[in-house]
Parts: sequence; C-alpha cells; structure tokens
Amino acid sequence: MRRGTIQSVERAARILKALGRGSARLGVTEISEQLGLAKGTAYGLLRTLEAQGMVEQDPDTDKYRLGPAMLQLGNAFLDNHELRGRSLLWADSLASRVGETVRVGVLNGSTVLIVHHVFRPDNSVQILEVGASIPWHACALGRAIVAYLSEAEIAALLADGPLVPLTGRTLVEPDELEAALIEVATRGVAVEDQEAIVGESEIAAPVFNHRGRPVGAIGVVGPVERLHRDGASSSLVTAVKETGRGLSRDMGAGRLAARG
Amino acid sequence: MNATSPPTNPVDGPFVRRWIRDAASDIATNRDYLTQLDAAIGDADHGINMDRGFSAMVTDLAAVDDLGPGAILIRAGGTLVNRVGGAAGPLFGSLFRDAGAELGEGRAADAEDLLRALRAGLAAVQRLGAAVEGDKTIVDAFVPALAGFEKELRNGSGLAEAAARAASAADEGARATIPMEARKGRASYLGPRSVGHQDPGATSTALLFASLARTAGRPV
Repeated sequence: MRRGTIQSVERAARILKALGRGSARLGVTEISEQLGLAKGTAYGLLRTLEAQGMVEQDPDTDKYRLGPAMLQLGNAFLDNHELRGRSLLWADSLASRVGETVRVGVLNGSTVLIVHHVFRPDNSVQILEVGASIPWHACALGRAIVAYLSEAEIAALLADGPLVPLTGRTLVEPDELEAALIEVATRGVAVEDQEAIVGESEIAAPVFNHRGRPVGAIGVVGPVERLHRDGASSSLVTAVKETGRGLSRDMGAGRLAARG
Repeated sequence: MNATSPPTNPVDGPFVRRWIRDAASDIATNRDYLTQLDAAIGDADHGINMDRGFSAMVTDLAAVDDLGPGAILIRAGGTLVNRVGGAAGPLFGSLFRDAGAELGEGRAADAEDLLRALRAGLAAVQRLGAAVEGDKTIVDAFVPALAGFEKELRNGSGLAEAAARAASAADEGARATIPMEARKGRASYLGPRSVGHQDPGATSTALLFASLARTAGRPV
C-alpha cells in the first residue's frame, strides 16, 4: 500500500474493480480469496458498499455485483469529461466572437462547478476559475441547467433552502426562481444581472446530451455595462444560444433536445 | 450646523477634497499590495481598479470648485461608478454617493454629520452586496470603524480622535478577515480555500479610514 492512503478505502476500491471485471458476480468467499482478505473484513466492506448502492446482492445466489450507484457515477464521469473535452473549441470561439470571458459549468449538488474557463481576450490579468463553485440559483449557468431538469428535481433544489443571496439582487424566493426558470425554458437562455457579483452579469445556454438531459451550460460573464445595459445584449444572447446548440449537437443531442 | 462646527477641521468642501487626495495617495501606494491580495481570492484587479478610480476622482474634482462636502462626495462616487470595473466601482461609488446625499447641500458639516453620512454609505454597500459582518467583505472593516468613530464622539472627543479610532478599528477589522471563509463576492466561489487570505475590499476600506484620520489630524 502506498504511503498516505487509507487501507479500507483501497480494499473497497479493489472489490469494486474485481466486480467490474467482465460481468462478475462474486460471493464473499471468492472475493476474500481473490483479494487476500479475511472473510469477515470482506463481508464488512461489502455490506458498507451495499448500503451506499455501490454493490448489490443477487437475492437468488447471494453473490455480489456492481450496484446502481456505480452507473450514476459512470454517467456523471462520462458526461462531465465529454462536455469539458467538447467545449474547448466552442468556448474559445465564443470568447473571441464576443470578446468576453466564457465559462462552462456542470451541476454538482446545489452548486455549479466551473469545469472550463476561457479568459476575456484582452491581455488583462485574470484568474482561472476552474474548480470554483457557485450556488446554482445565483448564476446563469446554474439556471440554464436547472430549468431543463425534471419537475421533481427542480422542486428538490428549490426546497433545499434557505437559498442564500450573494448580492442584494440575488433571487432567493422559490416562486421567483421558479418564474425565472420558466422564462429560461421559454427563451432557451438564462440571464443573470448582478446576482452573483455586484457589477457583473452572465448569459448562459444549456448543453444537452444524447438523452436530452442538460449536462451542463456554457455562458459569457462580464461587466454589466457591456453585457446587460438595457436588458441582455441581443447579439450576446444569440451568440450564446448558437454556441449552446452547437455544443449540444456535438454531445449527440438530437434536434429536439438541442432546443432553445 | 455651521454654528456648532468645531473650531478646527470642519467637514467642508476643502476637507473632503483633502481626504480624497489622501485616500488616492494611500491607494496608489498600496496598489500592488491590494492587487496581490485580490489575486489570491479574487480576480487580481482590485488595486489597479481602485487606483484608476481614485486618480480619476482627484483629476475630476480639480476641474470644479466651490462645491460643498456633500456635492463633492456625490460627484466622486459617480466617478468611481463610471470609471472602476469589477465590484469595487459600484460598491465604493455608492458608498461615496449615498454618504454625500446624506450630507446634503450644506457648506460645512461636523463630525456627527460625517458619522451619519458614513452610515448611509455603509447602508448602500450592504444594500448592493447583501453582506453582513463575517462574510469577509468591506463590511468587516466598515462596521467596527463606525463603532469606534461613534464611541469616541460619545466620549466627547472631536473629529480627529474619532477618525483615528475608526482607522485602527478598520485596520483590525480588515486583518480579522484573514481566517474567515468568504460568503460574498468572487472569493466565495473558492469556499474553504478563501480562508487564510485578507479581504482586499476590507483592506481598501481600512485605507479610506486611515486617510480620513490623517486628513482630520492635520492642522488646517
């Protein structure tokens, strides 16, 4: 075992990998023998993984196999990485087309995780925001994604309160946000006016995968006087929507899914 | 108001001009320091933006004369809003504008008037930013500064003592932001990673109070 790693986590990971080889279904004895673990240890690890939905026990044979939580993790991994990879060119071209900062984000619980960030092409000093987390309700990226989730998912996010204001303008009332989400779904684009940072505005469009699910969003963020002088700049809205549609097509979204 | 002004340093037009010049000079001196602080938890432009805004304020005010203290602050705030990018422009600009509006059109004000004006400035910042104490923002230097200012006035001290006390409280407040986790502004995007860095907005606020103390402590 490598220094600084935790033995039980490593063992759990090895169990998952063993179950992930082919279409393995393994009993406790087989697992303990394969991995060189005491049977009681293997059983404890399996019970813990089962409680997390990462393995499940076949009721007929008592053997273990991978559980449904692994599918969710796998899908999330694929979606995130495919989005990031495929967004590079689209984000670059949007940034140079409009001369503003472009960010790509994915929903991670109730926050948007920035997975790609292209600097505003003006040679000014800027700080990379990849890895930053922004509450979904305060940013256009978050609203662009959430507007296309299922009703149950939206209700759960709105109920996950109280939603905190990031500025004096942040919408935090569930019914106001719900109305904002309906507007996003109608326009195909989300707009935020100084709700995350005083003086900044963001315009973002959803990105869909081949199943028509919103897997992320891409948007332009910058000074409110350039992006949102009298309402959102219509040329920026068009550029962002076109980029969202193009990126969605690259992600395998059909015409209907790449709506907006 | 005029009749009860203290014999030295009434808060009049020339006083506010001197304060803004002192503040501009303090901010210019600390430009790189502020930008460094901002690079750790913001977007590395705070010092540059504040310096640009305050120099513009000084230049703009040199072109007009015969303004009362309120009018000068309102004008200076407008310059900041228009000339400074990022959150600093609207926040500090509204601070000055609302403080100026509170002073009104009188030719001279006293320390009590200035306290009320600064309170109005703080209220503007909090209205825009929704920040409370402990969020790692301007507010964390501003609130203790005003508390110190008021306490000194209640003890019977004059403007110079009140401003000096406000300056040291603001400086302490700015340093107290170091262990805080940011809950507002770009720094809040970093979550726990914002801990261990002094907030640039609170630091600029402390500079404004330090320059106020210098202006008020200097014989006219």
